[in-house]
Amino acid sequence: MSSQFKKTVAAVSVPVSALLLLLPGLLAQGPPPAGAAGAAGRARPAGGRSTVGSQGPLPEHAKFSAEQVDAGSTLFLQNCAFCHGKEAEGGESGPDLTRSKVVSSDKNGEAIGSVIRSGRPEKGMPPFSLGDQQITNLVAFIHSRQDAFLSQSGNRRGVEESDLHTGDAAAGKRYFEGEGGCTKCHSATGDLAGVASRLNGLRLEMQMLYPREGKQKIVVKTPNGQSLSGTVEYQDEFSLAIRDAAGNYHSWPTNEVSFKIDNPLQAHVDALSKYTDDDIHNVLAYVQTLK
Amino acid sequence: MSRLYRAPILTALVAAAIFPAFATAQGVDDAMLKNPPRDSWPGFHGDYTGQRHSPLTEINPRNVQDMTLAWTHQTQQTGGIKSTPILVDGVLYFTVPDNIWAIDARNGRQLWHYVAPPNKAFHIGQRGVSMYKDKIYYMSSDAHLLALDAKTGKVIWDVVIADSTKGQWATMSPLIVHNHVLVGASGDFDNLQGFLKSVDPETGALQWTWFATPPPGTPKSTTGGNIWLTGTYDPDLNLVYFGTGNPSPVLNGKVRPGDDRYTCSIVAINPDTGKLAWGFQPSPHDTHDWDAVEIPVLADVNFHGTPRKVLMQASRNGYFFVIDRTNGKSLLTVPFGPVNWSLGVDKNGEPIPNPAKEPAPDGRLVAPDEGGLTNYRSPAFDPKTGLFLVSASPAYSLYFSKPADGTYGWSGADYTLWSTGVLDAIDIQTGKIRWSHDLGRRAGSGLLTTASGLTFTADASGNFLALDTATGKTLWHAGTGSSVSSNPITYELDGHQVVLTSSGSVLYAWTLPPHASGGAATHNGAAQK
Repeated sequence: MSSQFKKTVAAVSVPVSALLLLLPGLLAQGPPPAGAAGAAGRARPAGGRSTVGSQGPLPEHAKFSAEQVDAGSTLFLQNCAFCHGKEAEGGESGPDLTRSKVVSSDKNGEAIGSVIRSGRPEKGMPPFSLGDQQITNLVAFIHSRQDAFLSQSGNRRGVEESDLHTGDAAAGKRYFEGEGGCTKCHSATGDLAGVASRLNGLRLEMQMLYPREGKQKIVVKTPNGQSLSGTVEYQDEFSLAIRDAAGNYHSWPTNEVSFKIDNPLQAHVDALSKYTDDDIHNVLAYVQTLK
Repeated sequence: MSRLYRAPILTALVAAAIFPAFATAQGVDDAMLKNPPRDSWPGFHGDYTGQRHSPLTEINPRNVQDMTLAWTHQTQQTGGIKSTPILVDGVLYFTVPDNIWAIDARNGRQLWHYVAPPNKAFHIGQRGVSMYKDKIYYMSSDAHLLALDAKTGKVIWDVVIADSTKGQWATMSPLIVHNHVLVGASGDFDNLQGFLKSVDPETGALQWTWFATPPPGTPKSTTGGNIWLTGTYDPDLNLVYFGTGNPSPVLNGKVRPGDDRYTCSIVAINPDTGKLAWGFQPSPHDTHDWDAVEIPVLADVNFHGTPRKVLMQASRNGYFFVIDRTNGKSLLTVPFGPVNWSLGVDKNGEPIPNPAKEPAPDGRLVAPDEGGLTNYRSPAFDPKTGLFLVSASPAYSLYFSKPADGTYGWSGADYTLWSTGVLDAIDIQTGKIRWSHDLGRRAGSGLLTTASGLTFTADASGNFLALDTATGKTLWHAGTGSSVSSNPITYELDGHQVVLTSSGSVLYAWTLPPHASGGAATHNGAAQK
């Protein structure tokens, strides 16, 4: 059915940086409670600071007071919970913060606070202009949730590495080299060599289906006939900005320049309307062998 | 006519005598809601049809490029404006969660500001207040309905509509029909019962409740069907039309076999009795969070040669529906973007969900994504061109659910792989897309069309846009530096057309400059014709 829309979709320029979700950190083994989003049973377990399964030690971060965590919980519920879930475990559209590398690498709000203040507009997260104390309280709450989830046993909402081994690697290899057309751009012994050692689980699958990539490459012909190449910094209907190889920033009204954007990801967009679920699982099984 | 508000009292009295319709100009009455005067926008959609199509023509495709800023109003709040302001008697009323403002439509000056008591509920948005007679009606984040004195902002009564401690919250602008204030709530993170409630505008007393689903705990039955966007109303048929939300548990359909009526449905309800007249289900047995709450737009059109009273919905699940609103029978069902989850359409015009596209432990590739091909962003219908305009977001995503995810609330996980944003102009006779305007990414703005042939919206980069409705070509734009998450409106003030938009925490009022033909305002304040 979707084929009739291919034209519409393909006609749209694809902002490469757009919509790549902030993927959860995918800390291998899953712990925590079953889907029930009910608040009961979500309290931090009594006892020591340790994770369950093979998640390693709990992340190090500043010590926050119970008052900070409590104030943060109200702010979180009001501002963040719809997208990130009531317990920061992932909600309507935002990632699971309890598995976030931004959170586990954050010590005292320097990383989390920056995301809150600036947002991730390209991924749909708006900036929040909150005060320093409010942000510290939110950081306290988010760390408390991550600690709690990492310490909990049992099942949880989410995708585990072990869920993603249902495909047939031989069939996937055939698709990769044949019908899928993947070898037009990729090689199992070239760019993809060892990819399954660098990535795994859902992150590998999402990267395979629509790669997280840097900037789009662009060549711009300026009004005075000069040709400039670089990467796209900003583009909307009315203005275009690039950064050239020397790091200089240039911008123009879109209608005063001609330009060509090299978007190698269009092939990935086109493939989304062609894959069967079996194709995806088979190719994933094949890519999982590229260690 | 709107001179009335600025003229000396004596003149006002004379005007009142000449124009009896304005003799009782204080507040909102049934006649105003049914046929909004040009100098008003008295409810969420402007009128009862949900078309968001204005008869005003002063600003047109030839002069819109001259449109300029009359004033802005800064809320000084962190939260962005998602509400549609209403305009009554020269005063604009609008909201962000926990806040209501009344401001002077001539200059943006604040008349009053209501701040709600602190509450622990989702503050994801507030879509606006409604008005009847001299009272303002507001749904708080924690799902109370408040009536406030429109003159002062003082609370007259406050009634609980849903128990927010169980997980319901509210964002909607109430629909006022006669002596009924119609409200619902959100809440699909928990297994709760969706409803529409009718409340007495004078006293706050509950008149009736219509439940979309059986009580939680009913065996093999769904919960959910929350109603969270403002419905529409046909005064001749005396029916209100609302869309209902998704079933719960959200991604796990195994414990709620069957169609899960009336979730993801369009329902026609008698506003006096609360009785269901008919229901139509855009997403039988939904397992992808595709609420069918999108605005049910009403129009009287010639459809394939026959005069019809139609209801149109561009639904979150990717289908565009045209329905005969007298009886709920399907006239057209067609996807308006990438859709891969159905096996086709049944004899009633309802899509048939493909069981193979239900969320699974190893994931299923699904189009559209959870955010949907469209969502809360109000569409518009332009009767002249027969175009239904909708802010669309083609997308692909992965949906997962496994037994360990349980049977409560979300019960799974889903991840968007790719999405984009376009404004689609759908030909209502065929469902074909006549033009498509790139919005960059999934955008947050709703739509407004005018009888002069203009479409107002905003792209994902925060540019306000005025487009030619016939072609989709950009005729005017203004960058705002923030994101736009609201619906534009238009009205006449002091004899001239105003377009009101918002971006971030700022309201912007646009008019033609005073020097333009038929200019918008004079700088010396001299009387206008």
